Amino acid sequence: MMDIRNIHAKIGDNNILKGLDLTLEKGKVHVIMGPNGAGKSTLSKTIVGHYDVDVLEGEILYKGKNILELPPEERALEGIFLSFQNPVEVPGVNNAYFLRTALNAKERHEGKPETNAAQFLRLMRERAERLGMKPDMISRNLNEGFSGGEKKRNEILQMEILEPDVIILDEIDSGLDIDALKAVSEGINRMKNGERTFLVITHYSRILDYIGPDYIHVLQDGRIVKTGGPELVEVLEAQGYSAIEKDR
Amino acid sequence: MQSVSLDLAGSRRSHPLFARLEALGIPGNKTEHYRRFAVKPLLNAAYDLVEVHGEHAAESGAVLRIENGEVVEVPAGVSVSFADPFEADENHFDALYFLTHLAAPKVICIEIGRDADIEIVHRFEREKALLPYRLCVTVAPGVKAKVFESFETAGSTSSLMLYGIDARIETEATLRWVRDQNGSASECAVIGSHRYDVAARGALELKTFDFGSAKALHLYKIDLDEYAWCDAEHLLLASHDARRGNVVQINHNRPYAKSAQNARNILKDEATGIFDGLIRVGHDARYTSAHQNSKAILLGEHAFMYAKPQLEIYTDELEASHGSTTGELDEDALFYLRSRGIEHDEAQKMLVLAFANALIDTAGDDNIVERIRTDFEAAYFEHA
Repeated sequence: MMDIRNIHAKIGDNNILKGLDLTLEKGKVHVIMGPNGAGKSTLSKTIVGHYDVDVLEGEILYKGKNILELPPEERALEGIFLSFQNPVEVPGVNNAYFLRTALNAKERHEGKPETNAAQFLRLMRERAERLGMKPDMISRNLNEGFSGGEKKRNEILQMEILEPDVIILDEIDSGLDIDALKAVSEGINRMKNGERTFLVITHYSRILDYIGPDYIHVLQDGRIVKTGGPELVEVLEAQGYSAIEKDR
Repeated sequence: MQSVSLDLAGSRRSHPLFARLEALGIPGNKTEHYRRFAVKPLLNAAYDLVEVHGEHAAESGAVLRIENGEVVEVPAGVSVSFADPFEADENHFDALYFLTHLAAPKVICIEIGRDADIEIVHRFEREKALLPYRLCVTVAPGVKAKVFESFETAGSTSSLMLYGIDARIETEATLRWVRDQNGSASECAVIGSHRYDVAARGALELKTFDFGSAKALHLYKIDLDEYAWCDAEHLLLASHDARRGNVVQINHNRPYAKSAQNARNILKDEATGIFDGLIRVGHDARYTSAHQNSKAILLGEHAFMYAKPQLEIYTDELEASHGSTTGELDEDALFYLRSRGIEHDEAQKMLVLAFANALIDTAGDDNIVERIRTDFEAAYFEHA
């Protein structure tokens, strides 16, 4: 599905990713865990083409292309979605207008007819209600004045409406109460269809109890140093990152 | 052919205003209020002076229409007369305020004696022409008036419109003045020199929407009496190599006056935006509140914003603030939109509209908001 090969990347003067290799399999849930500063968020930013990141070496192969050559919007149109750790507030841009513009861009890219305003509002209301979002969040400005939990639910709402193929969730569970974590996890599980690939970045095992990962990857000092099954989480929780036996 | 000089005063050289004009002198590039506007070539150019006849009968219609300085249509219920020489504010800071008073043969006077909603359309279509004229508006005590002012200047290539408003808002009256000015580089340059005088407990809502690639500068002197209130909002979008802006002096002359000024400027290409705002709180203006803010977004590599927010305070008992920011679009917001598949130009447009909508949305009723938004988008995409 996606091959990340020998990525070296820096932000400012800091070399953060130092030869990172990772293969994401179609239909699987991959989890990245690692200590603070290991490069987890830099990896997600690298995949979606964030302007902070300067890629020095390597390639990310997806659908037969090296996506590092594509601008962020084209990566998104090819089906790559990042749920941001801290979704930005955009004053003056209406949430529904924004999301419909994004959906219509995707539909145009795929040669499908565009969802009209009435159809879209029905869709958005139904999806928002399912996520337990307040009705007024549809008409409010994008993330403006949203609580941390509301922002995360809004990310999941976007994911459910845009229906991407590769979903990167950067600390989607941070700052969520129990109900919000459950709602967000249910949203993720609804998206699992055996075709979509998930890359979940987290510090905590709780969300993994809900979404059932296939692979756990440990990222340390800019590289994936160990890959295992779900049982690896228990080892990490019991012994910490320093105690694990590295694969490479 | 005529340039802009003292000669425009013609036979009125003996009028007291001429002494003020002479003392200030015709503005040049170093005149403080015209800095960055490059006024000199504009005033020095040779123009055909438009002969305005002043007083004459106009047809009744839906709007107050002024074509090439002549009133050709008057809305029902609105009293329009022609005054000879209007009693101007001798303390105005702008030389062209005096020059236009002296050069205009008659001042077009609108007396608003009851609640009213008036549209003023200025039409100017002559090439290489100089058009000086003025309007005076009086809002009677307790009356609530709304004025929507727009410009039709197609065909006025290489011309200069010198005009201005003198408005008197009487005790407990309210005037909402909305100006929608949208001119491309092939249309005339406009210099407007205005004075708004707000009596005790009166209110002025001044909302200006100034878009395009032509040159335009508006200079305002606003005077506030006791408990008077002024809310001034200016949205400016300049493109190509335009120089456009606002020079505003708000004077708190008496206690308990309030003013809030909010300027938003969007500069494309090589355009220059000007916001020179002074709020002056006088010795007697205790317990006043004065707030001023200017924000600018530079979209072009060579775009430039000249922002000069100033407070001049001569009393201790007041609440005041001012600030100015100039920068590019929020890169994080732009990236967020792009990360959802929205292409760069569309994402940029969404953010610029969001920035502008904060002022457009408060312009008035739905019809006015829609007109201004349409004009904004047309100007935004000009030369895009």
